[in-house]
Amino acid sequence: MTADEYIAVRQYTETEKYNIFDGELMPHIQSMYNFAFRLTQDEDDANDLVQDTYLKAFRFINSFERGTNAKAWLFRILKNSFINDYRRKSKEPSKVDYQEVETYYDSEEMAGTSQTTDLRAETVQELLGDEVTNALNALPVDFRTVLILCDVEGFTYEEMAKILDIPIGTVRSRLHRARMLLKEKLKTYASSMGYDTSGESEDEDSL
Amino acid sequence: MTPMTPESSSSAEAEKVVKKEHCENHAECMKLIQMVLDGEAGSEEIEHVRQNLGKCLPCSNGYNLQKAIKEALQFRVEHKPVPQNLADCIKSKIHALEK
Repeated sequence: MTADEYIAVRQYTETEKYNIFDGELMPHIQSMYNFAFRLTQDEDDANDLVQDTYLKAFRFINSFERGTNAKAWLFRILKNSFINDYRRKSKEPSKVDYQEVETYYDSEEMAGTSQTTDLRAETVQELLGDEVTNALNALPVDFRTVLILCDVEGFTYEEMAKILDIPIGTVRSRLHRARMLLKEKLKTYASSMGYDTSGESEDEDSL
Repeated sequence: MTPMTPESSSSAEAEKVVKKEHCENHAECMKLIQMVLDGEAGSEEIEHVRQNLGKCLPCSNGYNLQKAIKEALQFRVEHKPVPQNLADCIKSKIHALEK
């Protein structure tokens, strides 16, 4: 595990530390709590994870350059704390199947089959917020994470690469796979809820 | 006339005549479409996608679906309220650290 987010670049006074903490770090608590909750899927764990992250952030505040991207810096610490302290004890099935899923979707992609999902944009637009949230929560954590960072939190690929310690190319391909998985989840969900998921309504019987 | 935005969908019949029904390069097209929707594409790539959407039905359907999913995540995913005492709890722990 790299730890360059903890390397001191500044020597702040006590007053400066508190000013930075209150003025630049604490304002992100809403996003931090939601990110933590979506990773752990448990309120108490999310609470602990956010506290741990902020305590670490304060201890290593000299490694934060004032005025730079505080949110990305905090998200990175939170993500690392999650991997080191929480993921081990969580009941996430994704630990085992993550690699398999990536391989599976690679081969699907080669065969060109997974691209032709017939879910319609209109169907997605009709889904309720909690239906979308459920589909997102059902994804393995690594795929869920890239979608949260990109679409929910609006980070750029470059910021995501730093938060996740992966190359930009991996960000891109993981996002691509995450979206294919989410489409499948949404499609299953939509058809189980009785939404019309058929793509070609008029031409279906023409053979 | 061709629209100015990449979204050139809507009225099905009129466009079905022009747009091809099969995309031989769809996996690659969807990767580019993803970058455009994520705001990570350059102007050449945006223009390429824009032109392609006017000609290819699977790509314009894929674009519309991808866009709908992105917007659902952006605007409709639930946000949990932060527990009331969380911020205070963090601050008191930090003050305790310094003692």
